[in-house]
Amino acid sequence: MSQDSLTPAELLQQRNRRTGMTIFQISWMLVFVCLVIVNWQLRGNHPGWPPPGVSAPSALLPALVTLGLLASAWLARSATRGLAAGRQAVFRRQWRGALGLGALFILVMGYEWLSIPTSGIYSDVFRMMTAFHLLHALAIGLFMSMIARGVRAGRVSAQNLWPAEGATSLWYFVVIAWLLFFPVLYLI
Amino acid sequence: MNPTNSSNSLMTVVWILVAFVLLVVGGLIIAEATPLVLPPAASAEAVQVDELFKILMALGGSIWLLVQGAVIYSVIRFRARPGDDSDGAAMHGNNTLEFVWTLIPSITVVILSIISFQVWVNITTAQDNPQVVEARGARFLWSFSYDIPGETQRVNSTVLHTWVGQPVVLHLETADVNHAFWVPSMRIKQDLLAGRRTEARFTPILAGEYPVVCAELCGSGHGDMHASIVVHEDEASFLDWFDDEAYIILNPPDDPVEGGELLMTAGGVAGLYACAGCHTLDALGWDAIVAPNLEGVADRAATRVPGMEVERYLLRSLFFPGEFLVPGYDNLMPQHQYQDPEEANYMPLDEALNIVAYLCTLSASGESACNVDMLPDMMTDMGMG
Amino acid sequence: MATITATPGLGTRSAEGAAIRAADLLRWSLDHKIIGLQYMVSSLFFFIVGGTMAMLIRWELLTPALDLMADGTQYNALMTIHGSVMIFLWIIPMMAGFGNYLVPLMLGAKDMAFPWLNAFAFWLIPPAGVLMIGGWLVGPPEAGWTAYPPLSTLFSPDGQTMWAMSLHLLGVSSILGAINFVVTIRNMRPEGMTLWKMPLFVWAVLATAIIQVLATPFLTGGLTLLILDRTAGTSFFDPGSGGDVLLWQNVFWFYSHPAVYIMILPGFGMVSEVLSVHARKPVFGYRAIGLSSMSIALVGFTVWAHHMFTSLQPALRIPFMITSMIIAVPTGIKIFSWLGTIWGGKIRFTSAMLFALGFITLFVFGGIGGIFLAAVPIDIHLHDTYFVVGHFHFVLFGGSVFLIFSGIYHWFPKVTGRRMNERLGQLHFVTTYIGTFFTFVPQHIAGALGLPRRVAMYDPQFTNINTVISLAAFLLGISSLFFIYNILRSLSHGERVGGNPWRALTLEWATTSPPPPWNFRGDPVPFDDPYGYGSDESVAYLDAVERRFPAPEESDGA
Repeated sequence: MSQDSLTPAELLQQRNRRTGMTIFQISWMLVFVCLVIVNWQLRGNHPGWPPPGVSAPSALLPALVTLGLLASAWLARSATRGLAAGRQAVFRRQWRGALGLGALFILVMGYEWLSIPTSGIYSDVFRMMTAFHLLHALAIGLFMSMIARGVRAGRVSAQNLWPAEGATSLWYFVVIAWLLFFPVLYLI
Repeated sequence: MNPTNSSNSLMTVVWILVAFVLLVVGGLIIAEATPLVLPPAASAEAVQVDELFKILMALGGSIWLLVQGAVIYSVIRFRARPGDDSDGAAMHGNNTLEFVWTLIPSITVVILSIISFQVWVNITTAQDNPQVVEARGARFLWSFSYDIPGETQRVNSTVLHTWVGQPVVLHLETADVNHAFWVPSMRIKQDLLAGRRTEARFTPILAGEYPVVCAELCGSGHGDMHASIVVHEDEASFLDWFDDEAYIILNPPDDPVEGGELLMTAGGVAGLYACAGCHTLDALGWDAIVAPNLEGVADRAATRVPGMEVERYLLRSLFFPGEFLVPGYDNLMPQHQYQDPEEANYMPLDEALNIVAYLCTLSASGESACNVDMLPDMMTDMGMG
Repeated sequence: MATITATPGLGTRSAEGAAIRAADLLRWSLDHKIIGLQYMVSSLFFFIVGGTMAMLIRWELLTPALDLMADGTQYNALMTIHGSVMIFLWIIPMMAGFGNYLVPLMLGAKDMAFPWLNAFAFWLIPPAGVLMIGGWLVGPPEAGWTAYPPLSTLFSPDGQTMWAMSLHLLGVSSILGAINFVVTIRNMRPEGMTLWKMPLFVWAVLATAIIQVLATPFLTGGLTLLILDRTAGTSFFDPGSGGDVLLWQNVFWFYSHPAVYIMILPGFGMVSEVLSVHARKPVFGYRAIGLSSMSIALVGFTVWAHHMFTSLQPALRIPFMITSMIIAVPTGIKIFSWLGTIWGGKIRFTSAMLFALGFITLFVFGGIGGIFLAAVPIDIHLHDTYFVVGHFHFVLFGGSVFLIFSGIYHWFPKVTGRRMNERLGQLHFVTTYIGTFFTFVPQHIAGALGLPRRVAMYDPQFTNINTVISLAAFLLGISSLFFIYNILRSLSHGERVGGNPWRALTLEWATTSPPPPWNFRGDPVPFDDPYGYGSDESVAYLDAVERRFPAPEESDGA
């Protein structure tokens, strides 16, 4: 993004937005950290985890969509850079790719959420954490698709990049939150 | 503040020393108030805790006097005189002074932590040959249960009995929400946590009767949830009480009414029922007000539900308390279970039968208002037993 | 940054009359001054609500039996809502109100970094208030403001869910407000104002905002689980199905202990301003005060389990005792620095100063009580007794509320252009001080003697002491009426003042009272040292400010 064309006021606004977004991400990430701690304390009370008689879901499919999610973050980043350079077509293609991978993640994890047994403390924690993350993925995914529409309509562009930049940051947030949850839910 | 010559600086030192002595003396005087703000120390632990309390009173008292003194002195000495619009001295700080008042509190808290830690270790160290008592909190009643050597039955009581010099270990469990077992005179407190068993220990040193208080909010009757500890002079005196109780438990009466009364005062297989935590009944010394008064309950039971017999009403009230709520009262009573002994609120049917038989005698005439022999049939047609 | 002329994203506002009218407070506005006042006025409303509840509680406790209440449940509901309202709808939003009004002014900025977000954060409060009070009417929560399960999950009625949703909204509001403060303070200081030249109030708000950003997410997490347990059939806190009651206690206190500092740190900032201005002397040990705010904020995250000394696993109690003791050090540094500030000054006994001095004498008592509670063996005895009630009221009423009063007397002229009545202020101070002392000191004693907290019925041996407490509390109630009357009367009858009635050096005084819509005409230049009293330069600067923003003609001047 060309910094030279900005007035001092616009520069300040840009700086504020970036600082604000970072602080928000740190703060809200702590909700996810809190849920990880909840998971940890609850499993500490049980001799094994999952508790005897409960089988852990397979990590294979979630692992694959986790990779997809990482790729989607990379695509979103690249798309935003393309938009900053004025390359609308690149943005549209890569953004669509990011959205598609995100949608795949949401579908697969939604299926996981539905297929786990619905009673017992293991299921409570598992479903609470995945649902909490899915709601964030869904809301931010919808926001990203609104950005795509904004770019088509010309409201979001190299001159008004912040919506795309902000959405990308939020999508990073979804990815990092998932990278926090995935090992806790599936690997440990 | 900044002395300009040596006599001034000498005076400063003298004043600091005088102030220091005054503060120490003041703190020690304040510490003498310790026994006034604490109940009598009736356990070995309490004596140690009170020593620590006294140290903190002395220290806290000195600090309090120091700050009050400094504020009062400043307010008088440094008040702006009428007509004086000037500013105070442009003094931004003093590194030495700031260092001192960081260092002194730091050292103080380190020392306090060490002393507190020592007291903590002393009062929590397990003593040999403790008397083990199972204590249970249920809304809103404390009950204490003792093993009878060689028997399966237990002695249950709402009063904790022990004797001077005997270390006591309490195993604490709750039937419902969290409670906290607090004996102010023993300086012990331990929360009862749902789903966990916790422990409290103390060694009484003073014979007498002391209150037990619930210190964790547990619902509407929380303020009324109290019991007492009786510390006997010696083991023999304790055994006088214990053997009597054990004899009654081991030789229950045949009459269902008497049996019911015993169940309500001394408990059954599931321990002591928490009726006394909520109900009033003079005959048994109950005075709680959370739930309907049981005085004359047999008469009222006859009129509550048209066409329903007294015994059926009472029986259903034990197992389905939400079914007929007395106006003005919430549905707070535990729903007793008769099938699974592992269930919370387990009440076997034969005990329920005796309890109903006893409740039936709570009439104005004192005569039983029911035909106790009908009860077993009634249970069968309610689908029980 | 001081050269900004056009200000995107700050919305438009009329540049005409600078005075804020009552109707402005009911409208969506992006002006940080209006938002600040919205916070303050709404929280004052909740202060009256919560205070009325306190009076009812003390009335009930005049006798050992139930008299005012029909049953213990009603009492529990009353004290639950009293606590929740006072903490979440009075003190925290009031502090946010001061921050919103003052921080941009002190920084010489035109507004906060995110005005829209600022307004949004405020407008979450009214619905939260409705949920809280509505829940009380529907089926009151009765588990105390700490809402320990299983009482709060398996036993308390539907109002508990609304209570939790209310706190959820307030938590989000708090996080959004805090983000705004951090960004504003980090990015929008005027040229020449380094971190070490910021007013101490701004330091305190920064420390508070950092706590809010890092601690409140845990409240959000905990409340989410509580609501799920109550409505979705999960059992995170139900040991019968594999849950854990200590889980709530840990998560709740991980937020709620730092929340204690959210309630007091901004006040610490205010008292540093007030003492320095009214003693006409530089703050003693500026850096130490700023740094101690930060260290309190950080150490505050490591002490939460001292609220659980009677439920926590015994082996974990000692470490938390040590961290809790450590907090006494930075707090002590502050107290001594304030004493150093007034020492050698020219103390003016304005109402603001009276409350600030009263604060020091009361707060030190509260702090010493805190040491008693930090020592595990003593806390075992004192935990969940009236000693604790007395302690936290000493630091919240004698601390936070005294500082709020002090701050209101101090900044009222800036906000309204009028001074509050000093005679009424003195009456308010004397009654409040006596009321506070005789309400909360006897509570300590009653607790140590064996009176547990949160009881509607108590042992008759505590009747006399409870009568003393109740009578003193009624005096406190009356003293608040003097205060409210003083505010209302001074709005129309107060003596008119110029820009800087107290001759203070911080930037909020270098503009008209009340400030114009964009705060300053032109770019304000901060005086190099915000507390540089007693120097010739400061006198010259203050004279210049006075000439530029004089008091209106009809009064004798400031």
